[in-house]
Amino acid sequence: MSDKDDVERGPFQLLEALRNQDKTWKTLAPRYGVTNPNPPWKTSLTAMCDCLVANGVLPLLDWRRAEDELGETVYRDVPAPERQLLALVHVMLSRGLVSETDLAQRMRAVRARLEAV
Amino acid sequence: MSHTHSPGDGGGDHPAAPMVEEITDFEVLEIAVRELAIEHGLFTAEDHRRFTEWAESIGPAAGSRLVAKAWTDPAFKKRLLEDAVKACKEIGIDWAEPTGFGTPSDYMNLRVLEDTPTLHHVIVCTLCSCYPRPLLGMSPEWYRTTNYRRRLVRWPRQVLAEFGLILPPEVEIRVEDSNQKCRFMVLPMRPEGTENWTEEQLAAIVTRDCMIGVALPRPGRTADVHPVQKARRPVQRS
Repeated sequence: MSDKDDVERGPFQLLEALRNQDKTWKTLAPRYGVTNPNPPWKTSLTAMCDCLVANGVLPLLDWRRAEDELGETVYRDVPAPERQLLALVHVMLSRGLVSETDLAQRMRAVRARLEAV
Repeated sequence: MSHTHSPGDGGGDHPAAPMVEEITDFEVLEIAVRELAIEHGLFTAEDHRRFTEWAESIGPAAGSRLVAKAWTDPAFKKRLLEDAVKACKEIGIDWAEPTGFGTPSDYMNLRVLEDTPTLHHVIVCTLCSCYPRPLLGMSPEWYRTTNYRRRLVRWPRQVLAEFGLILPPEVEIRVEDSNQKCRFMVLPMRPEGTENWTEEQLAAIVTRDCMIGVALPRPGRTADVHPVQKARRPVQRS
């Protein structure tokens, strides 16, 4: 599968909804007086990318190209690191590594879990 | 949720640092996709913990050792400038680690930029925060700001001056952008007054900022020393 296909496959409704949200760290952090430039999940995201490459799920060059292309097109207006997260999930959805239905369902479950404490 | 540290817990009596007090969909998405990836067998939770630990434990010491060795060993410096990734292995830094073939965040194409009396290098990533992590660790906060990323390429001399680095006009400043599948690191000039120093002594003055290019190494100035200076014109109390 070429990277061009990755970009063309989509848009994904789930990610489009997030892309248009004004809830990025860059927006929220100043609202709460937080000075850390990155959200707490940033290192986890980096590690997830590393894991996918390490296990051969996403070939290194392939992933870098896809991330660059998506970051410069579909998610151009989204700041980092949300841009990187959306690009990663976009590629994973595009390649069938996870399904949009499963992901939406899991997101609801994760949110319920986080809000329960 | 807010809390305070009591005197008994060693933290003094002060309020906790502010936090973003809402759960965003981005945070939820990161957890959800990671859980599904683990369930689908794409990687394990242990893999993820190991890479997270690695990312948060690397620092600039390796880069300092690399520079110190280049200063004291001309043959090594030549090899470093020709093939930096290969030369890194000589000081125990393998860019293929921890995956065996690099990471998405550390593209295995490193170029070391040698400063001269008339040429000064400084690195940036105008797109995001690409950085030579295996050598310098995680990037500093200011490196990721739009202020630095956007202004450095346009007004390098002024931006460097804001870091306290004022270069004479005859020194050309070259900005290298890490976007194009390549990582860069600056090899600063060895300062005067360090003759006969050991590699260890030299490495101590090669701080992270010297290898980014926003500072110059100086004898007596190390990352361990808090750069507190007394005010030149302190407020006069009546």
